[in-house]
Amino acid sequence: MGRAVPGTSQFFATCGVERAEGRPGGLAGIDVTAMRCEEAQQLFDAYLDGELSPSLTAELDAHRLQCAECRRALAILEVTGHVLGSDHEPVMLEADFTDRLLACVERPRLGRWQQVRRLAFLGGSLAAAAVIGMAFLGVFDRGKQSKVAGEKVERVLQAPASPAVQQDSPSAEDLKAAEQAIDEWIEKMRTSLEVKRQSGESLQKALDLTILQVLDILEELNDPSSLHLPGADEAAPFLPIKPPPVDDEDVDDL
Amino acid sequence: MTDDASKLGRDQEKLLVQRAQAGDRPALRQLVDFHKDRLFAFIWRMVRDHHEAEDICQEAFLKAFGSLDTFSSEYRFSTWLFTIGYRVCLNRMRRKKIFAGEVDVSTAASPVTSGAAQTAESDEAGRVRDVVWSAVDRLSPPQRATILLFYRNDFGCHEIARVLQLPVATVKSHLHRARAKLKELLEGAWDGQSQELRNFSQRAG
Repeated sequence: MGRAVPGTSQFFATCGVERAEGRPGGLAGIDVTAMRCEEAQQLFDAYLDGELSPSLTAELDAHRLQCAECRRALAILEVTGHVLGSDHEPVMLEADFTDRLLACVERPRLGRWQQVRRLAFLGGSLAAAAVIGMAFLGVFDRGKQSKVAGEKVERVLQAPASPAVQQDSPSAEDLKAAEQAIDEWIEKMRTSLEVKRQSGESLQKALDLTILQVLDILEELNDPSSLHLPGADEAAPFLPIKPPPVDDEDVDDL
Repeated sequence: MTDDASKLGRDQEKLLVQRAQAGDRPALRQLVDFHKDRLFAFIWRMVRDHHEAEDICQEAFLKAFGSLDTFSSEYRFSTWLFTIGYRVCLNRMRRKKIFAGEVDVSTAASPVTSGAAQTAESDEAGRVRDVVWSAVDRLSPPQRATILLFYRNDFGCHEIARVLQLPVATVKSHLHRARAKLKELLEGAWDGQSQELRNFSQRAG
């Protein structure tokens, strides 16, 4: 059975008895040359498990040859151990047990390569959505409106002046027209900037939401407990995942 | 006992568990195939009901796979699996006790031994076997689990202590008391009826 064989001293320590001084293999207060039944019976467990030192094994063997009662008791325990250790199982699992069990594991978790592919797909979709959104909101037309408005003002300012104007200072009408054009231009720029600001905020929100969704997916992919197991989520009032130590007496009552 | 599970080395088992943790289905299948027979045999010996044992076995695997990320590789997967299986067993036995009174597996019908096994052993050996297993069925659940894990699964006291979640000293005590009780029960059977048990033990002794 491959169990560790402790030394004699260790065995004595576990038995709670002291080793006799100057008598290797002897027990304090026990005359090993004439072992009594009670003393022999204390050593049965260690004897059966092969944990007894060679000298004590020899002493117990000697006692066993002389004592019919201990011989019978040891024989019963040895027969029991032999039957328990070597008997064939009279029942077997159904042949399709593994298939049925794995069928219960409904959603297999993705492998590494599948995870990479899924992430690449998600990343590509996200980038495409961002480009389409930006095009839709006119981000790529930046400056077009301001350019048109600027040209209008320029036209007004560079328009040939009236003869009166050419001679003297600009007339009040010309100035008013120029002022009006500038106001229009400023108003258009303001409107345009406001639209762009709102569009940018909407796009930012959309991107934030998408990123959060991707992060959720990433978290799910990295979470081993995401493997869905029917019954695994069931309330288990009797069995926590890490069960606490059982009260021995409680179990003995079963 | 030489079966697939005993051939599975610790490193190999660790690798399989890592693959299973990464979602590798073939690794899950291998883990099931390596451990199912030993786990089922242990559970069946505890509950003595084929369908219930299969059900518990399945539940134990599903629970193990469901919390595979909590598995610590410092322990053997088999130890962890048996711990879960034993807990599920105890829970079922508690429920049975609640709903159907006392549970006495010693009254459970023994399965019919296969023809090959019947012809391979004499009537005498068969009776000895029956007497021994009947005595085992009359042990308390922790004692029975200790005896089964010790003799049939080659678990040491420390490993049994992990499975049963008890101190090692308590496991040793269970083992000692189980042996004493088995001896007492078998001596009763000896004195009461069976010359064959006497013959058998004389040969063994």
